[in-house]
Amino acid sequence: MLIKLAGATVYDPANNIEGEVRDIYIRDDRIVSAPEAGETIHKTYSLNDKIIMAGAIDLHTHIGGGKVNIARTMLPEDQRGSHRERTDLTRSGGGHAAPSTLSAGYRYAEMGYTSCFEPAILPVNARQAHMEMADTPMLDTGGYAMLGNDDLLLQMMAEGAEQQTINDYVGWILKASQCIGIKVVNPGGINAFKFNQRALDVDDLHSHYQISPRDIVRNLSRALSELSVAHPLHVHASNLGVPGNYLSTLATMDAAEGFPIHLTHIQFHSYGTEGDRHFSSAAAAIAEAVNGRANITIDVGQIMFGQTVTVSGDVMAQHANHHHAHPNKWTCMDIECDAGCGVVPFRYRDKNFVNALQWAIGLELFLMVDDPWRIFLTTDHPNGAPFTSYPHLIKLLMDRSFRNDMLSQINPDAAAASQLQSLEREYSLYEIAIMTRAAPARILGMTDRGQLGPGAMADIAVYHPGGDPEKMFERPMLVFKAGQPIVEEGRISQPVRGKTQVVRPEFDEAIEKRIKPWFDRYHTTAMENFIISDDEMAEGIGSPINIHPCGLNP
Amino acid sequence: MWNKSIDQTINSVTCPGCGLSCDDLSITFAGDQLRSLVNGCEIARSFYETALDHSDPTPLLNGSPVTLDQALAACTTHLEQSNSSLFSGLATDVNGMRGILELADLCGATLDHMNGDAMFRNLRVLQDNGWFTTTFSEARNRADLVVLIGRQWLDRFPRLVERVLNPQDALFVQSKQRKIVILGPWTEESLPEDLASLNPQLIPLEMDAVADAIALVRGVIAGKPVDPNRIGKQTGELLISLANQLQQANYSVISWSAAEFDLPHAELSILGLVELVKALNEKRRSAALPLAGTLADITSNQVTTWQLGYPLRTRLQRGYPEHDPILNRWQGLISRGEVDLLVWISALSSQALPPDCEIPTIVLAHPGMRFKSLPTVYIPVGIPGVDHHGHWYRSDGVCPLPLNKLRRSKLPSVADLTNLLSRQLQTASGVSARDLQC
Repeated sequence: MLIKLAGATVYDPANNIEGEVRDIYIRDDRIVSAPEAGETIHKTYSLNDKIIMAGAIDLHTHIGGGKVNIARTMLPEDQRGSHRERTDLTRSGGGHAAPSTLSAGYRYAEMGYTSCFEPAILPVNARQAHMEMADTPMLDTGGYAMLGNDDLLLQMMAEGAEQQTINDYVGWILKASQCIGIKVVNPGGINAFKFNQRALDVDDLHSHYQISPRDIVRNLSRALSELSVAHPLHVHASNLGVPGNYLSTLATMDAAEGFPIHLTHIQFHSYGTEGDRHFSSAAAAIAEAVNGRANITIDVGQIMFGQTVTVSGDVMAQHANHHHAHPNKWTCMDIECDAGCGVVPFRYRDKNFVNALQWAIGLELFLMVDDPWRIFLTTDHPNGAPFTSYPHLIKLLMDRSFRNDMLSQINPDAAAASQLQSLEREYSLYEIAIMTRAAPARILGMTDRGQLGPGAMADIAVYHPGGDPEKMFERPMLVFKAGQPIVEEGRISQPVRGKTQVVRPEFDEAIEKRIKPWFDRYHTTAMENFIISDDEMAEGIGSPINIHPCGLNP
Repeated sequence: MWNKSIDQTINSVTCPGCGLSCDDLSITFAGDQLRSLVNGCEIARSFYETALDHSDPTPLLNGSPVTLDQALAACTTHLEQSNSSLFSGLATDVNGMRGILELADLCGATLDHMNGDAMFRNLRVLQDNGWFTTTFSEARNRADLVVLIGRQWLDRFPRLVERVLNPQDALFVQSKQRKIVILGPWTEESLPEDLASLNPQLIPLEMDAVADAIALVRGVIAGKPVDPNRIGKQTGELLISLANQLQQANYSVISWSAAEFDLPHAELSILGLVELVKALNEKRRSAALPLAGTLADITSNQVTTWQLGYPLRTRLQRGYPEHDPILNRWQGLISRGEVDLLVWISALSSQALPPDCEIPTIVLAHPGMRFKSLPTVYIPVGIPGVDHHGHWYRSDGVCPLPLNKLRRSKLPSVADLTNLLSRQLQTASGVSARDLQC
């Protein structure tokens, strides 16, 4: 099957194509070069004046795993009022901040997204995350395994384990949990909370293991670098949400000692203590640090006003914030000597000083970080806002007058405390394509995604052009997944299922001699049942794996 | 692991006999018979012996043997004719539940688990209040004070003592340092030996007194004046002592089985326990450990929740999910005459019979099932963890474990059957959904 997408204006930053009119060809599931003259083209789409980009990639969105299911269970009101009816092609479902898996997949695809990554997979609960993502149709999925609060790693570090041992353990976890990266959440802090520590700054010591978050960030970021895993250590830094936490964020950047790290939802970690309310924006200091350090990438975790639910592995922070729960109910959980989770519903209010300033801080970060290849568009779905707000966020970045209109509606003290009014930058379509396609593919090591060059997977979004970026990105004209048209005029036309994207670095399997006795002595499950095999992914869980190479990170 | 060949001895087998989901079983076969079972409790032994002890039964239609195709055709006819079907039982594995949910969406069915009453005593608290929970390994390694509510947990979860309360090894607290307090309808004499050996402190009371007892403990912790005489002086003083112990513990765990709270407004008793844990966490660490998972209640609810966005007791009749934890109780739907077809799924137990009712009943169930009154259609199905692979959730809702295939079997799984029925319904009604489960 050979398909021609004729005459669209192409934005393909991975191949340095900025707004050029070109034809794109699809053979089966791949993009190919122009065919030989005389070769039969089975279908041609005339796309004059349309805009074409690779399918979008969300590298940080909580779409699967136990904590999302707790949010769904605890918040039936989140489903009411946003149900999705069954059609001949699609299943029923619904949900606003914690959508059902099926609805999440459909809605992402309807917005031009073709791959999504769950950033907080507890290795002991990886099966659930993969099962939920297998039931999230239309998308390729993947996840980051959480380490750095598991008692085994902390014990090994406390014993002074060699870096090589840690590398082997990290490699083993990636394979056993079928993940594409490693995340650390509040390094050591989730574990310390189980020992009743209520805060753990970067150089504080864990009361039992006598190691610091700095040690954990250094060891894990180095491990991933030495294993040649493309995605850097994905870090949810210490002291989330605490005024003055930008100093912890800067210290976390330094803790990597030059190894690549990705600081996630950095908006929640960019707070100062200036002003009458002792809460201020430190976006300038954070942006300056990011601009000056090539080993750092970030995603923003923009907040939007309205009701959402916060779901996080950071039990320490979530428990501390439970007094803000709206509606007033919350759940926390300590999990299997591995990590934990906390689920706290929340309503961000534009007239509330802190919430309004959080909104402004996120936008300041977007506008003050220079390199769109190192900053990614996220709301930390659903923690800052549901992913369905992305088109609105893109408009805020692309349209200064719209942004200033919105700024004029928020709490006036917060507006006055922010530099946002003075920031003139407007993102171009090309830059949006970088931060939502090319850059996330590159930082995940998925060389055949996020681009439209020959050989790439034919994940493609075609948009109607227009003056309003929000309308444009809300409703693509066409979306292709692996060469098949799956969305037409913003509606699902062909339901499909994706695959799980993983990496498989080399490591010494003898690490199991350390891991198995640990399971046998302390756990209530067997190591053999912790490991998820490739066959199980395909036949039992229902999402076959696709292995991306290690060692190719630019 | 997934495609492991079927050996005579199989290790690291996950037992779906209860929500503990012990996965350290070692099973040896002699032919089709169980020769030995290592690490299994009496529930496990009974589960495997029952699973292995049957000839391959054939499907029944109105009591007469029929082929599988004939039985499926009858199911399709009933499902097509139904305006308001109820899918209940729901004792199956993850893939079985996935198939059931797709079929339910097509049929506009309402869903509830046979253990829905027990499950919703906990879920209604979670929906109204949230909670703070822990898991088996965490409790095993960390809890220095465990408060066990009730009595039935010992029979329902037989290896809890061995695997969680009194393990050979623990990371942060040794078993002899662990304090056990038992609140419930016990006497000193009634404690079995393995439990008595832990030197538990016993606070004897009936289940309907738990709410008042916990209210007193919460009052002490909140610094409010309490009157121990209101609950009986001796018990009251023991409860004040418990409150003091809880405030001194590094990591207390409070555990109950909701099934045992078989009394009106049981969720209020459980709310008290949950609020106690939340209050303790303001200064110390504490967590709840609700015990559940029997007959796949946690498994079926987890899958329902991620696919529909709501937990069970959800109906799809209007083309989208609508949840009501009270009105969609399966017993009520039948007794009020609000459903015209019952589909009863019970792949794990030959004992979990469908209720006697006047509406047509389709039963997809354990091959050893012995009916008191025959249903309209009965299709024997493979048993997850014996006849086919699967996935299964523990009591604590994390660590879904793989279930092994232990023998070759011709019995279709619940997933096989429900997927076939969905295909048949879609074909018959001209639905053009492609060959996809989603």
